[in-house]
Amino acid sequence: MTMLRLSKLSKYFGGVVASQDVDIDVPAGQITGLIGPNGAGKTTIVNMITGMLPVTDGTIHIGDTDITHAPAHTISRAGLARTFQNIRLLSEASVIDNVMIGFHRHETSSTIAALLGLPSAARETMDIQQRAMALLQRFDMADLAEYPAGGLSYGHQRKVEMMRALASEPDFILLDEPIAGMNDVESEGLAEIFRGFAADGKGVLLIEHNVRFVAKLCSKVYVLDGGRLISEGTPDHVLNDQAVITAYLGG
Amino acid sequence: MSQFIAGYLPLFDLYLLHLGLAFSQYIVLRAGVFSLATAAFAGIGAYTAGIFAVNLGLHPVLGLAAGTLTGMGAALFLSIPLARLRGVYQAIATVAFIQIVVSLNIYSESLTGGAMGLNAIPKTVGTGVLLIAAVAATYLVWSIEKGRLGRAFDAIRQDEAVAASLGISITWHQALAFAISGALAGLFGGLEAYHSYALDPNQFGFHLLITVLSYVILGGRNSVAGPLIGTAILIILPELARPLAENRLIIYGIMLIVVINYLPKGIADTAIDTIRARRLKRREAAA
Repeated sequence: MTMLRLSKLSKYFGGVVASQDVDIDVPAGQITGLIGPNGAGKTTIVNMITGMLPVTDGTIHIGDTDITHAPAHTISRAGLARTFQNIRLLSEASVIDNVMIGFHRHETSSTIAALLGLPSAARETMDIQQRAMALLQRFDMADLAEYPAGGLSYGHQRKVEMMRALASEPDFILLDEPIAGMNDVESEGLAEIFRGFAADGKGVLLIEHNVRFVAKLCSKVYVLDGGRLISEGTPDHVLNDQAVITAYLGG
Repeated sequence: MSQFIAGYLPLFDLYLLHLGLAFSQYIVLRAGVFSLATAAFAGIGAYTAGIFAVNLGLHPVLGLAAGTLTGMGAALFLSIPLARLRGVYQAIATVAFIQIVVSLNIYSESLTGGAMGLNAIPKTVGTGVLLIAAVAATYLVWSIEKGRLGRAFDAIRQDEAVAASLGISITWHQALAFAISGALAGLFGGLEAYHSYALDPNQFGFHLLITVLSYVILGGRNSVAGPLIGTAILIILPELARPLAENRLIIYGIMLIVVINYLPKGIADTAIDTIRARRLKRREAAA
């Protein structure tokens, strides 16, 4: 079974340990949680996986592909998509354009064809437009296709980001604090979407602050504090772990 | 009537020439590179074409091809160090590059004629050729905009981290934008050489940079209509206000300040946005 696997992953900024010997397995078809208090090193892990930060030590694999030192733009080709902690849409562009850009890794028309506007490139654009529209319909946002993405409500912007991530047809999705700033109704809507990802056979790594939300969704949870894993297991096990309680509440 | 047209033909020629340069400037901005090197690439293309015709006596088609290729080559070369810079630092570096090209054209006297310029270039390019080149350039930019390259450029311009996370290679796309920019500038520089009998090294300096940049800022940076409209306005305007033509630069300056303040996206882009917003509102009202 394919798996997103971090082994002995470490990051030092000079003498500061941002992450040390972190082992995380994200299996396909499940939602895996990564929680930890502020400053625990969650974002460092995300940035290392996505190639934004060079890894000091350890390895990251997607299936058999080693992406430890792969440049950021090649990681998407290995089958990993991500969302951002602060929603990052192309705010000048319309909703559908924002989704269409997600298909980039599946665009195969040659550069020459794209430069000269040959029929193959035009067909591809049409095809992508239809697939983007289908995604919008699935997420119930087809009416908003032409609107500039920057003007949408927070919840809708999140959905656009999810659609963009889905458009690349990833095997694994990294969700960086997806429900920050949302009310319960909105976050329940997103939870449904995340369950859908897992049901489709995608591996989901959910990085969250909100312990309740994680406990509800994840089959396995990892807890990070001070750059190290302090606990892992089922949500029940983790939430009753004394080390976790101490880390969250102070001891 | 024909006399009227003949009177304005030089102006139309100038429009077509500068349109190519405006697209050269437009395409790099579109891809999120704040390069101002178009003037330098145009100078390189023009001098290459000129030298091919005057010193080597070669056919103009060869000269234009050489001008296009050297412009593109210089752009690709410049894209390597520029990939490490961002924003205003790219602008500064490219302005320096323009000065270097101007200086080289002045000092390598045996090849370029130095400060006296390159003279007695046979005039082999007329309105017809310029029109074909300008239409071709417009088509090229339009098809880039419609397709996957345009989408990638837009993503890079607006957020590089997002672009990278979606698998878009920033270095590759920006180098491509540079190559297209250099090729366009080189080609239209070459056309200028074959259109105007003589080249002056300072013709491709800071002044041209400001002129070309104004076309794009005034017209708009995000649609193919931007350079088309911006160039037209700034070429026709000084003619309409002929008594002020001497003060062309002052007019440019005032217009730019007004546009940046009131239409920061440029005339064409603002118009397109307004039309789109209206259409959406109408649809909402209908629904």
